[in-house]
Amino acid sequence: MATRTLEFTFDEMRVNMGPQHPSTHGVFRGVLVLEGEEIKDLIPHIGYLHRGVEKLAEHLSYVQDVPIMARNDYLGPVHNELVMAHAVEKLANIQVPERAQYLRVMASELHRIASHLVWTGTFLLDMGGALGGGSTMFLYLFQARESIMDLYEEWTGARFHPNLVQIGGVRFDLPAGFDRKVKEALQTVRNTVNEVREMVEGNPVFEQRTRGVGVLSPELAQSIGCSGPVLRASGVAYDVRKAFPYDAYDKMDFEIVTATAGDVRARYEVRINEIFQAAHIVQQALEGLPEGPIGAKPPVKAPVAVKAPKGEVYFRVESARGELGAYLVSDGSHKPYRLKLRSPSFSNLQAIQHLVRGHKVADVVVILGSLDPVFGDVDR
Amino acid sequence: MGIVKETLDSLVITLKNLARKPVTVQYPRERRTMPERFRGVFALTTNPETGEENCIGCRLCQNICPSQIITVIPEKREKRSYAKDFTLDMNACIFCGLCVQVCPTDAIVMVRANDEVGYSREDLFLTKEKLLANEKKYQDLISPMTGSVLRNMQTPPRPAPRPRPKPQPKPEEKKE
Amino acid sequence: MKWLLVAFWSVVILSVALLIAAYMIWWERKFAGRMQRRIGPYWVGYPHGWLQSIADAIKILRKEDIIPKNADKWVYNIAPFLFMVPPMFLFAVFPFSKTWVVADLNVGLLYVLAVSSLGVFGVMMAGWGSHNKYALLSAMRYVSQMISYEVPLVLSALVPVVLTGSMNLGAITNAQKGLWFALWPVVGWVAFVVFLLATLAEGNRAPFDIPEAESELIGGFAVEYSGWKFAMFYVGEYVHLLAVSILASVLFLGGWRGPLLPPLLWLFIKTVFMYSVLLWIRWSFVRLRVDQLMVFNWKVLVPVSVVDLLLAALWVVLR
Repeated sequence: MATRTLEFTFDEMRVNMGPQHPSTHGVFRGVLVLEGEEIKDLIPHIGYLHRGVEKLAEHLSYVQDVPIMARNDYLGPVHNELVMAHAVEKLANIQVPERAQYLRVMASELHRIASHLVWTGTFLLDMGGALGGGSTMFLYLFQARESIMDLYEEWTGARFHPNLVQIGGVRFDLPAGFDRKVKEALQTVRNTVNEVREMVEGNPVFEQRTRGVGVLSPELAQSIGCSGPVLRASGVAYDVRKAFPYDAYDKMDFEIVTATAGDVRARYEVRINEIFQAAHIVQQALEGLPEGPIGAKPPVKAPVAVKAPKGEVYFRVESARGELGAYLVSDGSHKPYRLKLRSPSFSNLQAIQHLVRGHKVADVVVILGSLDPVFGDVDR
Repeated sequence: MGIVKETLDSLVITLKNLARKPVTVQYPRERRTMPERFRGVFALTTNPETGEENCIGCRLCQNICPSQIITVIPEKREKRSYAKDFTLDMNACIFCGLCVQVCPTDAIVMVRANDEVGYSREDLFLTKEKLLANEKKYQDLISPMTGSVLRNMQTPPRPAPRPRPKPQPKPEEKKE
Repeated sequence: MKWLLVAFWSVVILSVALLIAAYMIWWERKFAGRMQRRIGPYWVGYPHGWLQSIADAIKILRKEDIIPKNADKWVYNIAPFLFMVPPMFLFAVFPFSKTWVVADLNVGLLYVLAVSSLGVFGVMMAGWGSHNKYALLSAMRYVSQMISYEVPLVLSALVPVVLTGSMNLGAITNAQKGLWFALWPVVGWVAFVVFLLATLAEGNRAPFDIPEAESELIGGFAVEYSGWKFAMFYVGEYVHLLAVSILASVLFLGGWRGPLLPPLLWLFIKTVFMYSVLLWIRWSFVRLRVDQLMVFNWKVLVPVSVVDLLLAALWVVLR
């Protein structure tokens, strides 16, 4: 008797996910090639949020570029301001006073906390849905983030785009009684994060959704230029704050948070631990804050106030998403001749195509979320 | 059993939060007090003694604005310069506060109010009259972070941990 | 004359059910809001927004009814009815008090289980008729989920039947004169929990709301619907929830039985309690993935409920 083999053939279905889709974090468009629920391929399309910031920067002076840069990565604006200011300072050889360096560290760590809180919230929202438990945890985390935003409002006058950094220092000194408020806010953040951790960690639903999903090998991560928590979750201990210290980071005591699994769960773990590390750094910066001026140069009067000599420079900072670099070419005037931003979101996003193959539709949003792309930063 | 406990953890925490007080601020009926440095709507100040406008039409703000939304037309009168026209297009403002920082006479200031709204784009296009009227309208809400305060903060005269607003320089001193 | 009385009570119960569905939506919003440290609806119907659902109903009924160009119009138009009407049939057999029951069927539970699974057709037709890939994916998920979770639902609902020896819901209520079935050691507990979980899945609620999954499939099978057709899907879901909450109270919490208070009030309290538990679970967990959902059903719930049913049968035999 001849055995008969049954052969199933599937038609591949193409589903257009985005740019209008609730969990593509803005305007990502991915064409999913599906076989049933399984993903054969994902063809990413970006550029829906392209605003031409790099070109715009050429038309504005260095002084004006700093606040404009904050609009790229809108979850960690200070990092973008910092990288621009630092690039100019490096080129023009401006020494930033120590107090300003500490304040810059404090500001960028506060924004790292805020950004990671948003990430954790939206990640759980992707997983749990706006009409489910995800939104509960999302709102808890946003309430915690609100305390950081309140700090910024108190310090700089703006919740979101503080325009705190300026070339040669920072624009605002701390208001009176600020350290007590910082400590309170950090305590709120720690409590909330611990609460959310208790909710999700060990929960079988959460563990099943994250463990072993979207495993990124360290080799692949390095070859496509991932950085930040995405790279560290794959076990590569690379952190710009340690590798190329800027500002007062060499005086701070902190560890590079790594995990080895490289899956979505590892990325979650790295970011959660980084929140605690960042809170630790903020407290150190607050305690070690030296007295002194906060600006190296006299206050800015005009856009031509800062001029950089002819030359080119690359500077990198560790943003909440990874290595944020600015490549600046100057022709000696008060405007950049050319500015190229190396954005961590863009590099990290490239992993998506490799990560989703073989997974289910539901995993796409989780994996995309775990890479933490900010599309203002991807498309610039 | 561990799994059951971990699962019930989330239920316990949501139940705990059910008993906590909501954090909602019922906005139009309840308002947060904005912190001192809040960057909101703009106003043009006048000298409280003479009632003269502080703006001398120097165009520093026009030059520094990253969005290039400020237009100043200066006018020379017998004693000092004035702004013949001063417009600020709030539609494109990014609230960076650079114009406040560069103002030599503390003429343009920011107001601790963020609810300036309008039905049309023209409503958010602040003319000189609107800007001057804002000073009266938001009398108590004018941010103390004027240009001179900001500049003093950035290069503080030692020892001054927290600079206080200095008396505004008389416009007359600029001349002669 | 008897059919007239039945018709009258049917109309009354259906209108009340719709009104209750509107207030279930309100209760869910308030409950979820407080759980998330928000207030929830407040100003429409000051205080506490008790008119919010009515306002939303008026709003949604006035919205434009959009039919996609390539939709299978017949199927598309008829799907909302097929989704919303079956759960309304269920109210016919629920005993609201000792005498208040529209149709006192002796196979009441069988009727309930049979009718409640009719909703699948509406969803499949919606998914197919919308001519939308997301809707189709969602409908396929829904059907597979419904069919799978029907098994533990029925098996756990059979435990009270075995213990009572009748499929009549009134008889099941009467059998809980002493101890509610939900409180029976082990057999009752397990059956109650399995029933609760299967109910969540049948009602398409988080953490089992895979078909809706707005973060993956944008909203599922109802993605192309708008206006009153969407409202029918939305209300149908809540009517279904109301029905299963009542069913759970009848099967496991002793239905209208209780001291002092009138029977209808007791049933109401138990139903609200059941509904709140469903909400509580919904707003506390993240969502499972579709394959994990199936694994959970076939490898955990079904064996557990089979063993539980066997235990219940053994107990009845040995008694």
